[in-house]
Amino acid sequence: MSAVTSAAPVAHHGHDAAHGADHHEDNYAVAWRHNRLGLWLFFLSEAFLFGGLLATRFYLWQENGVTMRPPLNQVVGLVVTVVLLISSLSMNLAETGLEHGDRKMFMRGLVVTAILGLIFLFGVMIFEWGLFPSIHETELSPSKDVYGAVVFAMTGMHAIHVISGLVFIVLIWNLGRKGHFSQERHWGVEACAIYWHYVDLVWIFFYPAIYLIGKATHH
Amino acid sequence: MNGKRTAAYRLSVSVALFLAVMTGIEYFVAIDFPSTVVLLLLGLFKAVAVVNYFMHISRLWRQEGSH
Repeated sequence: MSAVTSAAPVAHHGHDAAHGADHHEDNYAVAWRHNRLGLWLFFLSEAFLFGGLLATRFYLWQENGVTMRPPLNQVVGLVVTVVLLISSLSMNLAETGLEHGDRKMFMRGLVVTAILGLIFLFGVMIFEWGLFPSIHETELSPSKDVYGAVVFAMTGMHAIHVISGLVFIVLIWNLGRKGHFSQERHWGVEACAIYWHYVDLVWIFFYPAIYLIGKATHH
Repeated sequence: MNGKRTAAYRLSVSVALFLAVMTGIEYFVAIDFPSTVVLLLLGLFKAVAVVNYFMHISRLWRQEGSH
């Protein structure tokens, strides 16, 4: 009798524990879905910001009805664009690696992405902004004319997102180094990856808008 | 598992190659045949690839937890 009475609570407790674990997993899954939706809504709100900058570019960079663009270095534009593109690949490989249990690819992918992000950032800062005149001088200035003002506004706003993405990557890399995240539970990694791809997505439209579309002005 | 992982990596590289080719086309279109509409369309194709394959927008409509 005592065995029955003592076993029953244990079995009941075991069932509760299993049910609790399932419930915990369900909660995580529900939270993950909600977080994902929240992040996409954030991207939607950001699209208005970047869309406004694009509209500004097409409205202001006109002369006698002809679309214009500043005389930027095409090679620099292409190189920084390709660097950002490769960083998107390395970030995707990092995320895919974790999803398939390849932690080495996950950690290495994050490091490569961060390095490429820094190269992109310094490429813009040195060759477009001319922040280091000893290395490269540029005619563009945020206060000189509408071309400089819009280029600095667009690349500046984008650079802020690159920097925040880099901080995000460092945080995720540090947590990953300590053993956080698994194949089943890695919302932080997915959020970081999607955010980084969003930075790339914005540049997909900024690159032709700044470097390619329109007739180059002559300074 | 390894086969799935390799296929996933291959897809990532394929998408990146597509984006690289499109970027190259953009560059040469801008030099030889400057057209705002064509350049924006090429950008749109690249954006669809990124949103679909890298940002996994379809996961928004999935019912299960993660992926």
